[in-house]
Amino acid sequence: MATDSPSEDSTPAADGFIASDPLSSPFGSLNDLCYELSSLQELATRGSWRSILDKVSRARKLSLLQKPHEHLCYFSYNVLALVKLRRYGDVSEELASLEDLDHSIYQYESHPDVYPGRFGSMIPFALRWIHAEIPLKLGKRQETLDRLYTLLDFARTRVDEKGSRGLGVSADVWKRREVFVVNSIIGHHLSHKEFGVCVSLIRQLLSGGCRDDPAVVSKLGCIQLQIGDLEGAKASFELVEKMGKEERLGSLSEIEFKNLVNRNKALVYLVGKDYVSAVREYEECIERDGSDVVAINNKALCLMYLRDLSDSIKVLENALERVPTVALNETLVVNLCSMYELAYVNHSDIKRTLSMNVGFGYVPLTQLKLG
Amino acid sequence: MSSGQTSHSLAFRVMRLCRPSFHVDNPLLLDPADLLAGEDIFDDPLAASDLPRLLHNHTLKSNDSDLTYRTRFLLNDPSDAMGLSGLLVLPQSFGAIYLGETFCSYISINNSSNFEVRDVAIKAEMQTEKQRILLLDTSKSPVESIRAGGRYDFIVEHDVKELGAHTLVCTAVYNDGDGERKYLPQFFKFVVANPLSVKTKVRIVKDNTFLEACIENHTKSNLYMDQVEFEPSQHWTATVLKAGEGLSDNDAPTREIFKPPILIRSGGGIQNYLYQLKLSSQGSAQMKVDGSNVLGKLQITWRTNLGEPGRLQTQQILGSPITRKEIELQVMEVPSVTILERPFLVHLNLTNQTDRTMGPFEVWLSQSDYREEQVVMVNGLRAMALPQVEAFCSTDFRLNLIATKLGVQKITGITVFDIREKRTYEPLPDLEIFVDSD
Repeated sequence: MATDSPSEDSTPAADGFIASDPLSSPFGSLNDLCYELSSLQELATRGSWRSILDKVSRARKLSLLQKPHEHLCYFSYNVLALVKLRRYGDVSEELASLEDLDHSIYQYESHPDVYPGRFGSMIPFALRWIHAEIPLKLGKRQETLDRLYTLLDFARTRVDEKGSRGLGVSADVWKRREVFVVNSIIGHHLSHKEFGVCVSLIRQLLSGGCRDDPAVVSKLGCIQLQIGDLEGAKASFELVEKMGKEERLGSLSEIEFKNLVNRNKALVYLVGKDYVSAVREYEECIERDGSDVVAINNKALCLMYLRDLSDSIKVLENALERVPTVALNETLVVNLCSMYELAYVNHSDIKRTLSMNVGFGYVPLTQLKLG
Repeated sequence: MSSGQTSHSLAFRVMRLCRPSFHVDNPLLLDPADLLAGEDIFDDPLAASDLPRLLHNHTLKSNDSDLTYRTRFLLNDPSDAMGLSGLLVLPQSFGAIYLGETFCSYISINNSSNFEVRDVAIKAEMQTEKQRILLLDTSKSPVESIRAGGRYDFIVEHDVKELGAHTLVCTAVYNDGDGERKYLPQFFKFVVANPLSVKTKVRIVKDNTFLEACIENHTKSNLYMDQVEFEPSQHWTATVLKAGEGLSDNDAPTREIFKPPILIRSGGGIQNYLYQLKLSSQGSAQMKVDGSNVLGKLQITWRTNLGEPGRLQTQQILGSPITRKEIELQVMEVPSVTILERPFLVHLNLTNQTDRTMGPFEVWLSQSDYREEQVVMVNGLRAMALPQVEAFCSTDFRLNLIATKLGVQKITGITVFDIREKRTYEPLPDLEIFVDSD
């Protein structure tokens, strides 16, 4: 349980430990936060984005939302659903309908009768982030990068501000957001093969908030492998193993960490063309966690490099059948289609069957190259 | 007789098997705290204590039985936002192929007919402009049969050593369902391009020879320079000169993994290398005899995607022709003992090693760099005039010198100046003499 040191802005009840009764706390359940929020969240975890659009539209029409922050919350879910449905033009329009995100109308203190004694911004951070990401989807990559770097600066300022006001929990949340934005930025540079920037941004992460995160160090190793710096990658993976011995697992469970180590080992074997050993490492992962899609997918690739096209196809088809919700991702499907093209002269037929089984909406037909 | 119209039971399917790549996506995953409430809610001390517990129940920790699509909405680990899950993707297109790389291909021969085919003799060859290289041949032990709907797979590798058009020629000779012996040729063409260009410059500073090499990347990917080594020819030694690696990283755990990689940007990026070369004395003599001036060659190894290696060697790099001396000044005779303040003669020979007349010349003792005054001086006119010397001829002359101090002394700075070309040659190395008293 986090403790906050006393500050000028805190309410009298804030000294030292806060012990509150969960039944009477204003933060006891999701619905306490916002009208029917648990239902919205449930729809989101099921991927029912259209249902979310309907729900938001209905709430607006029937004026079911009372408080300003509830409008913002529903707005955010609405925008998120539009993004997931790839309706980027609509997202842009929706965002344009808002005031500037730093406008005072979105501050708690502008509505003292609704939020007595509460200060700060009620904008959900996700909204700022989506606002930054959307230009890329509309073909304006540079705009997205500019907005993300600005958002990073914004987050860092908040970290300092909350820290100096003694708001420990809030500062930690903003630190997490800072790391989140850096990770997003690295992702964009990665997709454009700007590896130098990626490596130096990861370096920043590792000397700061991600010092104890083996997942980040592993990703550095992967980038080094991608570049071709094999010695650097080996050193990174060794550091991950060392972190494990020192019980620095970051946010990973023990199983996740063990699988990470196996997968890193497999990559080193793969690069050295020892595909048999790589397969062995991946099989250890799959036995430990049957839904480790990365291990499944990469094992299939290794089998192919071992001239065993039939088994590589079987591994992927089996995964789609056994753990469809995790196995169904674009990369796995693309790999399977490449294998079909190689294995069958009449590959269009089998790809059509695949697309029917996995559902048309999810993987764009162009990915399947039905020709 | 088989013609293009013949229908075949078999068909070749070919896929270039260069290394896979890591898939990078833009995952759009969120932390619930960033969506369910305002960004500054945690400023409220009550929220700070209660909200984390509530959110924890709604974070993602998936297991086998989780049938939701949480993984496509919620972040599992903060670094998931990077979009680098570790998933590998097969090469999606043939891509470009460069000299020095290894061409690797998965070849599958499919029987798409309804009948078994028998006695399949398969051959795969690489045809270039200069030669035809056999990659695979099963004619000595043909594949007994390929059932209807069946396949026979193989992987071939070939080190690409030539530029230009290449053709992978796959042929199969087999007995089809009717017992007819059929011949199936299939051709897969590609072009090999040059990945790098290397420009070299040789510079000579006093006795040191420096080799500058500039490598330019003409490929479509960034090249990780694994090794760029200069292999000197006989009698030469080489040391690579690097700028000090000023990586002031105070963070000990990360220091080892952050040696900056040398990465040459795709499509025109360059990287420079500097080597210092030294010629052994044996070599120096050899060079004067046969005039050969081969310094050596560069061995370059690079890596691209997931460590895919490439290897090239340059041609022999020649030193600059100026190393060959046009004028050779030799000492023929120096008296081993001279008397203080008594003039003595030094016998010298000037040889013209070019094929044209050189000169006229002047010879003098140049002032040394040191503050010490010159002990041995010219007795008489400061500069001695020498007439022109014909091609490949020589001339003898004597310098009249006088020593002003006792003991072991040096004659320093005997210098030749070409009056017509206005060119000063390197002074002779110091000569030692012993100056005795009367």
